[in-house]
This record gives sequence, C-alpha cells and structure tokens, in this order.
Amino acid sequence: MTMSRAELQEAARQAFGEGDLAPDPAASWALIAEMGWLMMAVPEAQGGLGLGREAAGVVHAALGRALVPGPAIAQMLVIEALSAADDFPQRDDLLGRAMAGDVMTTSLSIGPGLDCVPDADRASHILVLSTDRVALVPLAGATVTARTTWDKTRQLFDVAPPSEGITLATGDAAAALGQRLQSQLLFALAADSLGGADAILGRTIDYLKIRHQFGRPLALFQALKHRVADMKTWLAAAEALLWSRAVEPEATLIEIAALKAHATSVYRAIAEDAIQLHGGIGLTTEYYCHLFLKRATLNSALGGDADYWEERSGLQALRSAA
Amino acid sequence: LTDALETLRIEVRRWLEANAPQHWRETCTTHEGFLATQRSWFATLAAGGYAVPHWPVEWPGGGRSLAEQKIIYEELARADTPRLLLSFMSTYHAASTLFEWGSPEQQAEYIPRILEGEIWCQGFSEPNAGSDLANVRTRAERHDDVYVVNGQKLWSTMGQFADKCLLLVRTSNAGAKQAGLTYLLLDLKTKGVTARPIHQIHGDEEFAELFLDDVEVRVADRLGAEGEGWAVAQSTLSSERGLTLLELSARMRGALWRIAEVIRTRGREVDVGIARDFGRLATKIDATCALADLFLANRIAGDERVGDASLVKLSYARTLRDFTSLGLRVSGLDAQYHAPIVFGGGMETGNWMADFMNSYAWTIAGGSDEIQRNIIAERLLGMPREPRNWTLEATP
Repeated sequence: MTMSRAELQEAARQAFGEGDLAPDPAASWALIAEMGWLMMAVPEAQGGLGLGREAAGVVHAALGRALVPGPAIAQMLVIEALSAADDFPQRDDLLGRAMAGDVMTTSLSIGPGLDCVPDADRASHILVLSTDRVALVPLAGATVTARTTWDKTRQLFDVAPPSEGITLATGDAAAALGQRLQSQLLFALAADSLGGADAILGRTIDYLKIRHQFGRPLALFQALKHRVADMKTWLAAAEALLWSRAVEPEATLIEIAALKAHATSVYRAIAEDAIQLHGGIGLTTEYYCHLFLKRATLNSALGGDADYWEERSGLQALRSAA
Repeated sequence: LTDALETLRIEVRRWLEANAPQHWRETCTTHEGFLATQRSWFATLAAGGYAVPHWPVEWPGGGRSLAEQKIIYEELARADTPRLLLSFMSTYHAASTLFEWGSPEQQAEYIPRILEGEIWCQGFSEPNAGSDLANVRTRAERHDDVYVVNGQKLWSTMGQFADKCLLLVRTSNAGAKQAGLTYLLLDLKTKGVTARPIHQIHGDEEFAELFLDDVEVRVADRLGAEGEGWAVAQSTLSSERGLTLLELSARMRGALWRIAEVIRTRGREVDVGIARDFGRLATKIDATCALADLFLANRIAGDERVGDASLVKLSYARTLRDFTSLGLRVSGLDAQYHAPIVFGGGMETGNWMADFMNSYAWTIAGGSDEIQRNIIAERLLGMPREPRNWTLEATP
C-alpha cells in the first residue's frame, strides 16, 4: 500500500479523534466518504485507491474506537462486489456513486434471510448473496422493517427485496465472491472490535487513575491493576494477530473467522469488565461504558458468533493438526 | 536483506536436515541420557556455527543480527530439536554478563570454555528472595584477596550439573537493599559448595539448591565493583532478547497435533464442545505467536517499550496453561496413570499430567504472572506503583 499503516492510523485518528464518541451520523458518513475510505479497496484502474486488507483494518479500527455510526462495513462489501463483478452497463456509475457515499447496503448476518441490514431505509440498493448468485437489487418499493437494537450506533433493518435485481456473479464465481465478502466482513468486525476494545480499556484505566476511594486512586489497588494488565495482554495479542492476518493474502475464511471470534471475545470481556470497574457510574447513560458493551455484543453476534466459528475452526484445526 | 535472510533460512534448514538429532526423546528418560543428548547437540551446534549467534562477531558462530537469530530459532523449533536447556544459562546469562562487565582477563578465562561446553548456572534466588530479588541475604565477607561466602541459593537452573555459578551476594547491609549487593563468579567445585537437586512436582529436577558454607571466592572473580551487583544482575536478567518466547510459542503451535491425536484416539472429535475449545486454543496460540513476533520486530527496530516483554511472557504462560489443561482434560483417566517423563523434552511432551504441572514453571519462574501484571500496569499503563512500605494497622 502506498501509505504506511502508521500514516493511515494518524489520518484516521485526526478524522475521528478520541474525544467525541458516537459522533453525528450524517457528518460522520460525509467525512468517511471525503477521506476516500469507501474507495480504499477498489483498484486504481476503477478510480479507487488500491489499498488492501491492512488499510481496511486501520479504518475499521478507527471507526470502532470512536463508535462511529453508519453502514461503512456493509457499504464496503457492496463496493467490493461491484468492483469484482464482470462489467455491465451501469457498473461504473453504481460503483462511482457507492464510492462517493450513496448508501448501498447488505445483510451482516449469516442467516438465509435479509436481516441485520444497516441503513436500509436510506439505501438505494441492497446486495443479496446466495450460494450461486450475487445480485444488486434496487430498494425502491421494498418492504423495510426497522429493528431497534440496543446498540444505537447501528441502524438495522429486515428487508424483503422487490425484485431479482442485477446479477453480479453466478455459480462458482458467486460462491468465491461470497466467501471473499464474508472474509472481509469478519475482518472488518474484528478490527472494529479491537479498536473499540482499546478505546474502552484506555478510558477504564484513565478512570481508575482519577477515581479515589479510601484516600487513594483505584489504580493503586493491585486487584484492579492485575485485571487491566490481563486485559491489556489479551488485547495486545489479539491486535498482533489482526495485523499479522492483515498482511497474509492467503489467510483462509476460517482463519479470518477465528480471528473475528477471538477479537470479539476480547472486546466483550473488556467492555463487560469496564462496567464493573467503573462502578455505579458504569450503570448509567451518563458515561460511555454501555455504548462499548452494546457495540461489543452486537459485533459478537454479527457475521456468525464465536460459538459458530470456533466450532468450525476447531474441527478444521483438528483435521489439519495431524 | 530479506533475500539474505531467506538464504540463511534455507542454509539452516539444510544443515538441520543433516544434523538435527532424531528420536532424541527416547534417550532422555534418564538424567544420563538427557545430559548426553544436551552435550552432544550443543557440540554439534557449536561446530556448525549455530550455538551462539547472539555473541559478538569475533567469536565463531557469533555476530548474527537479531533478525538472523530469529530465523535460526524458528528453524530449530520447526525441526523439533532439543532445546538447549543445559547450556542456556552459559551462552546467554553468563556470556552476556561477561561481555558487558568482565575484564579482558575474565573474558579470556571464561568465555572460550563456554563454547567448549562448560556449564554455568545462576545463583540469584534465595528462600526469602524470589520475586523480591533485592532481599538477597547470602553473605560475602572480604578477607584479603578472597570473599568468604555463606548462605543458600534456590532455583539454580541445572545447578546440580553445572561447573560454574553467577552468584549474587550481600557485602553490605547499609543503605538501600540493592546497594549492598556484589556479583561473584563461583567455581562449583570449590570446598564448601553443596548442590542438591530440587524435586519438582512433575518428576523432573531442572533446578538445584546450593548450600554455601565458608566458600572462598577470589576477589579477581568479582564482576563489577563491590556494591555494583544489582546493576550487573540486571545485565544477566536482560541477556535474553525475546527469542525464547518466540521459539516456545512456535513449538506450542507445532505441538497442537498432540492434543488432536488424543481427541481422535479417544473418539471425542464428534464432541462440539471439545472442537470449540480446541479451535479457541489454536487461535490463542496464533495470537501469542503473533505477539512474540511483533515484540521481536519492535526490538529489532528499536521501538520496544518497557513492559512489552511482560505482555509476551504473560500471554505465553497463560496460553501454555490452557494448552496443557486441555490436553489433560481430553486425556481423562489415561493421564492419571503415572508415566515416566522425558527429561528436557520440552513443555509439550504428551505426558499430560506432567506437562500440566510443568506449565507452572512459566507462570512462576522468571518473574511470576503477578510480577508481570505489576510491570504491565505500572510501566506500560502508567498506573501508580505500590507503596514501598507498609505497616500493619492497629485494630482498635
């Protein structure tokens, strides 16, 4: 990639600084498009930036860190599918619009139905995946049902598409594209989770340093220090795995899925304990803890949860560890 | 640069194909077999130029960059060679400390013999100086050109097989505890030295207790000045540069088949819960390997932060506990029937009860998990340090 990870991280940090959590959705979306992040993975020949998985990881980690709302993950999946599709008359136009920020979405669940579809109420198209067909379907006239989630940074919908739409891939090509998109979804969720985990861990540590009880900062109590030291350790290892998988183009779907299961488990554990370590204030909406907990649990459930993927990665590892 | 490293990798791999010992675990069921395996493998490595890649370039086999050392260690792990347990303290702790603090005479006297197979152990810990090392009480009194040493040392790795010892002693009780320490080089054949193996719970004897009774050490065998022992000891303790945990993590990854084999043999592969736990463990090991790798990369680039090493050690130690614990669990009753252990067979021998108990070595030795957590919290996360003193509050 033309930009180093550190440079991209710095740019992302400037765009979504640490101070403003869960920023305004419309302004965030405009900023994401303006930064060029939606065109990141698209080859330069198609008007994109030609950056790889590592760059996507940086962006999603930054979005997770600041609990940025919006359908960035779904949008990038649609863009990837459009970019990979065989040429068709409206392709360049649709791709250009999607890269510019016209919302196009897709389901983030692994079920057969079109559920967990971010921002379907304002999207122009939905990407529909089945085992042998990938299609882009206009949403005009579709039945779109809002599903209120605990995590207010995501707006999810159930969708009943009105038509068959435009076929982007069929047969083996559709299956291969579907796998690639699933990998991309899982990697994005892993990055979002580790960004969020790092943010809430840092805030928790800051809180322990500031909050005094019994005439001393909570950060002086060894029982609490040891808990956050453990969290830091698991987070550091999970981050190391994220960035190592990010530069392994040959990483399999199962390897990325195992990473996602691991990253979301680490995020959940950190977000859960953050509530406890904040004490009473952690139970209130005054503080940010609940926002991380809600995003962490949603991330765990999206794209297949840890139970689902660990069973599969375990069976595969059992077969290959001969 | 990358090409040169890949060339080295191929060179080491070819050399190992011709020279790595095969079926060595079978001969390590006795201490004699273990010692013979260790000595001959060290001699082979030294002759091949791979025993001391971290030494300065003027020594045969030395002058390798950290990146090159990493390649050599990865290949040694891949070839499942015996870990150099017997000579580890000699080539790392003793040699590095001598390179940094030894006079030319001391270096000339001791360093060549390390390459010839002389074995060093470390005499730092004591019954009341474990995690709190500055608490050393073994006493050295100066009489003309000798120190007379009295005291007891614990946890000297391979101390019962060693020829020499890196000895931390107290020469003064004045001032800070650290300021009264002095560093001596002790010949273990000296009169008054008794080395007794420590019987570990899993049946091995990797450590010794040293009893020092009016032991005379020449003043010429002091490293650094009197009272400078703490600083010299820090060099000893930091001599290992992160390769061990990289190697051990890679070995754990490579040993996953042992658990898989038990699961299959016992017909448990249809148990979804076990498959999940196995998958979770495999990913955790991958994460530990990635962390060890990143740590070394940061070290090579000069980007290491104080406390980073503790993250790697804690991650490895906890993951090894998970590894051995799963092996023990899936083995069921089979693991409860006592089986002879393989001396120096590594952390994952497939003798699951023994491996599980041996995993405590990594959560306790070399700075326990609790010490690592303190370092991470205080040095890396900037949390306040423990108060240095405490008094028992009077209860009304």
